[in-house]
Amino acid sequence: MRIETCYFCSSKIYPGHGIQFVRNDCKVFKFCRSKCHAAFKKKKNPRKVKWTKACRKTAGKELAIDPSFEFEKRRNVPVKYDRQTWTKSIEAMKKIEAIKQKRQATYIMQRLRKARELETERDIKEVQRDLALIRSPAAGLKERKQDHVIDEDIRESDQEMEGVEDGGEVVL
Amino acid sequence: MALRIQFENNNEIGVFAKLTTAYCLVGIGGSQNFYSVFEGELGETIPVVHASLAGCRIIGRMCVGNRHGLLVPNSTFDTELQHIRNALPDTVKVQRVEERLSALGNVIACNDYVALVHPDLDRETEEIIADTLKVEVFRQTIASNVLVGSYCVLSNQGGLVHPNTSIVDLEELSSLLQVPLVAGTVNRGSEVVGAGLVVNDWSAFAGMDTTSTELTVIESIFRLNEATPSNITSDMRASLIESMS
Repeated sequence: MRIETCYFCSSKIYPGHGIQFVRNDCKVFKFCRSKCHAAFKKKKNPRKVKWTKACRKTAGKELAIDPSFEFEKRRNVPVKYDRQTWTKSIEAMKKIEAIKQKRQATYIMQRLRKARELETERDIKEVQRDLALIRSPAAGLKERKQDHVIDEDIRESDQEMEGVEDGGEVVL
Repeated sequence: MALRIQFENNNEIGVFAKLTTAYCLVGIGGSQNFYSVFEGELGETIPVVHASLAGCRIIGRMCVGNRHGLLVPNSTFDTELQHIRNALPDTVKVQRVEERLSALGNVIACNDYVALVHPDLDRETEEIIADTLKVEVFRQTIASNVLVGSYCVLSNQGGLVHPNTSIVDLEELSSLLQVPLVAGTVNRGSEVVGAGLVVNDWSAFAGMDTTSTELTVIESIFRLNEATPSNITSDMRASLIESMS
């Protein structure tokens, strides 16, 4: 007994479930439930229907290209039964499944991390733009004015001094 | 020696059995009778295996093979494929082919060196045939029938084709295959020779209805009588002595 995958949503089809359609050119389409079959009959493209696995993969929302997907395949050349390989491959299947889950999870986390960066960037920009809401531009205006006055006084006295020096040179 | 047998009162034994020089596949039947005939005749030399393909016992029409390999259709279940792999010797390559024309026994006729195939067969399938069975592949029709596997039986010694094949076609096919061919029938005039007859290099099985005339033709074209001990003493004696001296 083989657990097939649905043509439309890529979910598992267990024995006794779903329906299958054989096209004139002998291609077999298997569907997990009437929802997928109905969508197929309406000529919906699984890549363009948001809830399917195919759509998520083409949109880059999930891990699509990875060597861990190469193990689960329909193979046309059988291998002679050997208890050793049999037990080993069952062990390997468990490990591969764990690795696959991990990779898929990290892929999604990696994708979400990008959003976190963008979010902080946007926050910084917003803070800079609306700084007035946090700290009034009028705050400390008086002190700044006083500082300004003192500054001007100093500058004026400097200019007078310079004028004297210049004058000296002219006399000479 | 050619034998007459039946599969559950049915004369089309080519449908329920596949015979090559390296193995023999027999369809799973209700009684052991059919299997026992093959087992008695071939059991000491080659494995005789019960098999089914896609849950059907019409394995002779569904699969094609020779001593190098065996091709089974796409509809074969995994368990059946595994069973066949385990039962056949390691030298025989087993492969499932994804071909639209899934009755491979009807669309391909082959011996250990050449194969005739249906003109509409996929190019990929043709390559797989050439690789797995190690044969030269020719797209041909027999008496303007595209189902070459049904209307032709081949062994390395000779071949039997549809009775309506013209002399010109017969000569062309014969030069293509490099074996002598003869047009003939089985099962008292049935022209579907592929269904009524299975052969390998040293044995043949025909339907129970086959007449003695038909059987004589079969025995002579597939050279089934030549390996008997009396022939060795009479015909081969001279050449043997010559080579020894």
